[in-house]
Amino acid sequence: MTGANFLQLILVVLILMAVGIPLFSKLPPKRLFKPLDPDEEEYKHLLVRKEEVLLAIKELEFDFKTDKISKPDFEALHHKLEQEAMAFLEKIDDLEKQLKKRNKTSGAA
Amino acid sequence: MNEIGEFALLLALATALYGVVSYVMAFRSNRVDVFLSADKTPIIVWACVMVSSIVLWRAFMINDFSLQYVASYSNIDLDPFYKFSSFWGGQKGSLLFWTLILTTYMMVVHIQNRKQNIRLVPIALAVMMVIAVFFLVLLNFSTNPFEVIPLPPEDGRGLNPLLQNYWMVIHPPTLYLGYVGFTVPFAFATAALLTKNLDDGWIRLTRKWTLVSWFFLCMGNLFGAQWAYIELGWGGYWAWDPVENAAFMPLIVATAYLHSVMIQEKKDMMKVWNMSLILLTFVMTIFGTFITRSGLIQSVHTFDEATLGYYFLAFLGVIIAFAVTMILIRLPLLKSKNELDSFLSREASFLLNNLVLLGIAFSTFWGTIFPIVSEAFRGVKITVGPPFYNQVNVPIGMVLLALIGIGPVIAWRKASWSNLKKNFTKPVSVAAVGGAIMFPFVPLTDKSEIFTYITFILCIFVMTSMLIEFMKGTGARMQAHGESPVSALSGLVWKNKSRYGGYIVHLGVVLLFAGIAGSQSYSDDVEKNLSVGERFHLRGYDFIYEKLLVKEENSTKTRVIAQLGIERDGQRVWTGMPEKEFYKGQKQPVSEVDLISTLKEDVYMILADFNPDNSSATLKVYVKPMVKWMWLGGWVIAFGTMICVWPDRLEARRRVERLKRQEAIFMPAQE
Repeated sequence: MTGANFLQLILVVLILMAVGIPLFSKLPPKRLFKPLDPDEEEYKHLLVRKEEVLLAIKELEFDFKTDKISKPDFEALHHKLEQEAMAFLEKIDDLEKQLKKRNKTSGAA
Repeated sequence: MNEIGEFALLLALATALYGVVSYVMAFRSNRVDVFLSADKTPIIVWACVMVSSIVLWRAFMINDFSLQYVASYSNIDLDPFYKFSSFWGGQKGSLLFWTLILTTYMMVVHIQNRKQNIRLVPIALAVMMVIAVFFLVLLNFSTNPFEVIPLPPEDGRGLNPLLQNYWMVIHPPTLYLGYVGFTVPFAFATAALLTKNLDDGWIRLTRKWTLVSWFFLCMGNLFGAQWAYIELGWGGYWAWDPVENAAFMPLIVATAYLHSVMIQEKKDMMKVWNMSLILLTFVMTIFGTFITRSGLIQSVHTFDEATLGYYFLAFLGVIIAFAVTMILIRLPLLKSKNELDSFLSREASFLLNNLVLLGIAFSTFWGTIFPIVSEAFRGVKITVGPPFYNQVNVPIGMVLLALIGIGPVIAWRKASWSNLKKNFTKPVSVAAVGGAIMFPFVPLTDKSEIFTYITFILCIFVMTSMLIEFMKGTGARMQAHGESPVSALSGLVWKNKSRYGGYIVHLGVVLLFAGIAGSQSYSDDVEKNLSVGERFHLRGYDFIYEKLLVKEENSTKTRVIAQLGIERDGQRVWTGMPEKEFYKGQKQPVSEVDLISTLKEDVYMILADFNPDNSSATLKVYVKPMVKWMWLGGWVIAFGTMICVWPDRLEARRRVERLKRQEAIFMPAQE
C-alpha cells in the first residue's frame, strides 16, 4: 500500500464516520420539523403582511412629504392602508385567541 | 499528490450523491438523525473539492507537466501570478473552479441556516447538491483535470498570451461568483415549489444572495469589457460576441427579477412572474456555460476543447422541463388575490421596466442562437453582428434609461397626473436646457449620433430626478428631525438602504450609459505607416514616431515596442509605448496597447505592424471620449450595491420580533 493509498483510505474512513455517527448514535427520538400547521402558516403570513402594510404607510407618508402624491390621493390611500392594517391586526388577534384556546384544550387533554 | 486530488473529486461526487438522497430522506421521513448525517455533506463536499483545487494549483506552481491540463496551460517561464489564474484558463480547470465556488456557496448556505428551523433549507441544499453532482460527474468522467500524460514534456505549452493580463485574473472569478451565486435563489425557489411554501419567505431568505450575485455578474461583465478593451487591441470593449451575450442575458433577467420581487414583497402579488424570472435567470447562467463549452458557436471566449455541449444541453432540458412542470402544478397556489391600485404607480413602472428588460434579453438571446437556428433550418450558419443588436437594443435601452428616471418620481400604489406634472417639470426642464446647451457642440450627422444626443439628454433627466429625490428626502428629514444637511442625507440613506442604495446603483448605470453613448459615437481614429521621425495629428494631439525597440523578455517572450511622443499644444504630454508580444509556440503575436485615460477621453494606441529592417511601423490611434465614465459607473454601482446589502438592523429586529410572537403560540417557531 502506497502513502497515497493510505491517505485515501483515511479520507474514506473519516467521511464515513462523519456521516455515519449521527445515524448510529442514540439520539432521543425527535422530529426534524413539526407537521405543517395551516394555522401557523396563516399566522406567519398575516404577521408579514401586517408589517408590509405598516411599512407601506410609512412610505406613503414619506412620499406625501416629498410631494409625490396629492393630498386627496394621500388621504384615500392612507385610509385604505390603515383599514388594511386594522384588518390584519384583527385577524391576527382572532387567530391568536383561537390558537391559545386550542393550545389550552390540547394541554388540558 | 495528484492521485489525492483525483480521488478527492470522486469522494466529493459520492458524498454529494449521498447528500441529495439523505437530505430528501430527512425531509420526507422527518428524522433528525438522517438530517444530522446529511448536514455533514456540504462541508465534506466543499473540503474534497478544495483539496482537489489545492492539488491542481500546486501542480501549476511546481510545473508538474505530467498533468495534461498543466502542460496545456502553463510553462516554466510563466509568471506565478498567471500560473495561479491558469487554473481557470482552460475548460477542465474552469469547471473545477465553478464547482469550488458552488460548493463554497453551499457550505455558506448550510452555515447561515444551521441554527434556524427553516423547512426550505434541506430541500434547497439537496437542489444545490444535485447541481454539484452534475458538475462533479463531468469532472470525474468527462473532463478530468488530473488526466496524466504518460511521457510528460519538459516544458508546457503556456497560457494563451491574451489571458496573461491582470483583468483575466479578476474577470473570470468575478463572473463565476455571479453566475454560480444565482444557484442559491434558484435552489430556494425550487424548494419553495417542491414543499409548497410559496409565500415570500424564500425571497426574503435569498434577497442578499440575489443582490450579491447580481453585483458580481455586473462587475464581471465590466471587468471583461476592460480586459477586451486593453488586451484585444481593436479599440472596443463590447462586440456582442455570443459569450459576452451569455454573461449579459442572466444579468438583464436578474435585474428584472430584482425589481419585480419588490412588488411581491410589498403587495403579495406576481408570484408566478417572480418564480419564472429567477428560474429563467438560472437557466440563462447554465445557457452561458453551454455556449462557452458547446463548440456550437464560435467566439474568442470559448474554450479550445469545447466538447461538453450535449451534457449541458441535456442538463438545461431537464431544468427547463422541471421548472415549467413545477410552476404549472403549483399554479393554483401561486395565484394572487391582490392587484395593482393604479396603472399610474411605481409598481406599474416596474412592470414596464420588466417588459423592457426582457425585450433586451430576448433580442440578445435570438441574436445569439440565430447561427444555430439558421444552420438547422437552412443549412447555412448566419452570424448576427453588432448592427442587429445595436438596432434593436439601443432604442429599448433608451426607454429603460428613461424609466430609471421616471420610476423614483412616481409614488408607490397610486400617483396623480397633477403630481407627476409637478415632479417632472424640474428634471424635464433641466434636461431640455442641457440638450439646448449641448446642441451646437455635438455632431448630429447620422442615426447613431442622434441616438447618442438623446441618450445624453435622458442621462441629464435621470441624474436630475435622482438628485431631486435625494434633496427632497434630505429636506424632509431636516424638517422632521431638525438635522443638519449632512446628517439628514446620511440618515436618509442609512435608514432606507435598499431604496437609496438602489438610487446610487442607478446613478452608476447612468454613467455607464453616458460612457457607452459617448465612446461609441464620437470616437475618431487614424492608421498610418510611419518611418522614424514622422508625425501625424488627431483631435488636438500630435504623435511623433520616435523609435522601434526590440526586447527579449525571457526565453519564451519577445517584445517589439514602438515609441511615440505625444504632444498637445506644443507640449509633450506622454510617451506612448504600444507593443507586439511574440510568444514561443504561439503563431499569432499579441498586441499590448498603450493608453492615456482621462474623464474627457482615452487616447488608445496600437502597434498594428512593423518592419524591423527599416524600423518603420504601422500605428493605429483612437481618440475615444468618455470611456472612463463606464468604469467609474461600475464603481458607483459597487458602492450602491454595498449600501443595499449592508445588514439592516431594523429588518433583523422585525424578524426576531415576528419569531418571538410566533413562538409564544407555536413552540418551536418554524420559518
